Amino acid sequence: MATSTVSRARRPAPKVRRPEQRVRRQLATSPWLFAAPGLLIAGAFILYPFVSTLVNAFTDRRTLIPGRFVGLANFRELLNDDMFWIGLRNSTLYVVGVVPALVVLPLLLALLVQKNIPGITFFRSAFYTPVVASIVVVGLIWVWLLDERGLVNSLLEAIGVGRVGFLSDQWLLLSSAMAVTVWKGLGYYMIIYLAALANVPRELHEAAAVDGAGAVRRFLTVTVPAVRSTMVLVGALSSVAAFKVFSEVYLMAGPSGGPAGEDTTLVMLVQRTGTGLTGRVGYASAISVVVFVVTVALMLLVLRADRRDES
Amino acid sequence: MPVSRRALAAAFAVCVVLPLSACGSGGGDGGTADASGKIEGDITFQTWNLRANFKPYFEGLIADFEKKYPGTHVKWIDQPAEGYADKISADAAGGTLPDVVNVSPDLVAPLAKAGLALDLDKAAPQYEKEYLSGAWAGHRIPGMTGTYAFPWYLNTGPLFYNKSLFKEAGLDAGQPPKTYDEVFDAALKMAEKTDGKVATLANVPTIEDFGRYGVELMNKEGTAFSFNNAKGVELLTKYKELYDAKALDPQALTATPESSGKKFLTGAVAMNPGSALDLGNFKKQAPNLYRNIGITDQITSTGHVNMYVMGVMVNARTKRAPAAVAFAHYVTDAEHQMSFAKQVAIFPSTAGSLDDPYFTKEDGTDETRVRVAAAKSLKNAVNYTPVLFSEQMKTELRNEVAKALQGKESPKEALDNAVEACNRLLQQQG
Repeated sequence: MATSTVSRARRPAPKVRRPEQRVRRQLATSPWLFAAPGLLIAGAFILYPFVSTLVNAFTDRRTLIPGRFVGLANFRELLNDDMFWIGLRNSTLYVVGVVPALVVLPLLLALLVQKNIPGITFFRSAFYTPVVASIVVVGLIWVWLLDERGLVNSLLEAIGVGRVGFLSDQWLLLSSAMAVTVWKGLGYYMIIYLAALANVPRELHEAAAVDGAGAVRRFLTVTVPAVRSTMVLVGALSSVAAFKVFSEVYLMAGPSGGPAGEDTTLVMLVQRTGTGLTGRVGYASAISVVVFVVTVALMLLVLRADRRDES
Repeated sequence: MPVSRRALAAAFAVCVVLPLSACGSGGGDGGTADASGKIEGDITFQTWNLRANFKPYFEGLIADFEKKYPGTHVKWIDQPAEGYADKISADAAGGTLPDVVNVSPDLVAPLAKAGLALDLDKAAPQYEKEYLSGAWAGHRIPGMTGTYAFPWYLNTGPLFYNKSLFKEAGLDAGQPPKTYDEVFDAALKMAEKTDGKVATLANVPTIEDFGRYGVELMNKEGTAFSFNNAKGVELLTKYKELYDAKALDPQALTATPESSGKKFLTGAVAMNPGSALDLGNFKKQAPNLYRNIGITDQITSTGHVNMYVMGVMVNARTKRAPAAVAFAHYVTDAEHQMSFAKQVAIFPSTAGSLDDPYFTKEDGTDETRVRVAAAKSLKNAVNYTPVLFSEQMKTELRNEVAKALQGKESPKEALDNAVEACNRLLQQQG
């Protein structure tokens, strides 16, 4: 009996988990468990490539040759690279040319197809079709249309205007690519505006109409303020997409980026510089970092402008 | 919550450290896997857009190899033509390069420099005598010793022209141009007669064109480009005249071989280089053009036409070097190159194969006429594209040529700039 008493006395007291402790621990861990798959995917496919790009930007890494740390050499080289400045110019022009059109035109289109009239579903679908079409198919169709001997030039020649070098002139080529981007994006942003317009109270329009406001005045004083935040969202999304444009210009201007590479955009330059067996991954990463910084700046600019308007 | 913060910090640290771990010296070694030993084991074989048209041929080839060497198994992978170099570079960088890879000399060069291509002069020198000496030398890299791929098929081709466009422009369709001067004269006449509506050529001059024109492309040591010499400037000046006269298609500045081929197919341009393979396309896709097709020899000032060389490389890091070398040789030996050449309009690179009656006797058809003429010209043809001329260099040259044609730079300035840019890229390649 004595032995058993001693052994019982030496045995550590069993841990008693208080229910509140267990609940607190579960509350702390379970959200992370739910988030883990998403975090892992984000880490592998977003965070890791991002950090990897950031690190590579400071090396002279090539596709098959691991690089050495070169400090700011890639960024210094960028400043003296004519093609980088051409890319920056074209990407910026793309934002300037495309964003206003993508903020205003889809809104007007949404106003047109908002009404519930017979057959309106067909038009909504028709306007949305370019969004779901493959960009490669879209690009090929537009190249075919705008070719020297394409449909558009045949029509222009038939009415006596003569052939226009849509795909051979530097500026016409860039403008044509912008037109394709707007054409393809109209339906997407139209859907966003349709959702916003559905939330505009009908009473406001009725009250304005009673006060004698016409359609244009009602649009400016009722519709625009009501969808202003959506316009900001569209502006932010389209400006980032426009600055990062690749497919439209690549398909229409060719891999060389138009005549003498004058239509190259920054993302095309990243692709051209950093891919292939002799790709300069370090240098291309430095360009990518510039693209990232500019797109973040664009977002902040749009959001700040929105806040200033609100205040 | 401190645990979570630590986890986050650790994850971030891993993200930062992993890319850094890739930094350091690398490449340049390897290339010396031992190819002696028993031929057995599983290997992978990658081709370049060949499955769609030649699946039975390759399946038969692999089955025969596996039967000849019991214990071997070949897994065949075929990659699309588009982005092939990117696919290889991703595999090479990720350590998943197949054991046997279909390559062209410009793809072999960076792989050999990175130590990923097996040096056949060391691993399999006994096979050299089986191939044409020029073809075997096609996979040698300036600045390196060794040969880094088995030569596979060769290709070259004539210049096609549209007889009806020639007639409409008042040119003799029975006497096509034979020299560069004659081509340029015909092109200017065509542009003048059609008021610039029909161009004769649809491509700006490429590095092969400079080579064929007789321009020295690189110095003898292979350490620097030299195509900005007087001969190069002369060629570009002539192209500038053509561009100004609309004898060169206005979209030539952004054209690719595919897009210029389509222009020829639709009758928008009067001449286009091609191969015997194109005759079938013309017959199928443009019967009217096929009825009016004229065929003339490739224009060259050097006496040597341009040829394209395809090769089969063995991954220097393969774990099954004997089987990989044996299979690469099997694919490219005389018997199998000959049987492949009878399926498609290509030419074998093995010694003596071009003397086969298949390549020497005409039966009166255009196909055999083109084949016999091409085979004859291949005996002393040259691959004018320097193996060190990368995609980035091609873009630099194309952009500078475009500036010269647009009049933004003189031909001399443009070529000087192109050579400077290409030499800079060459140095960066190491």
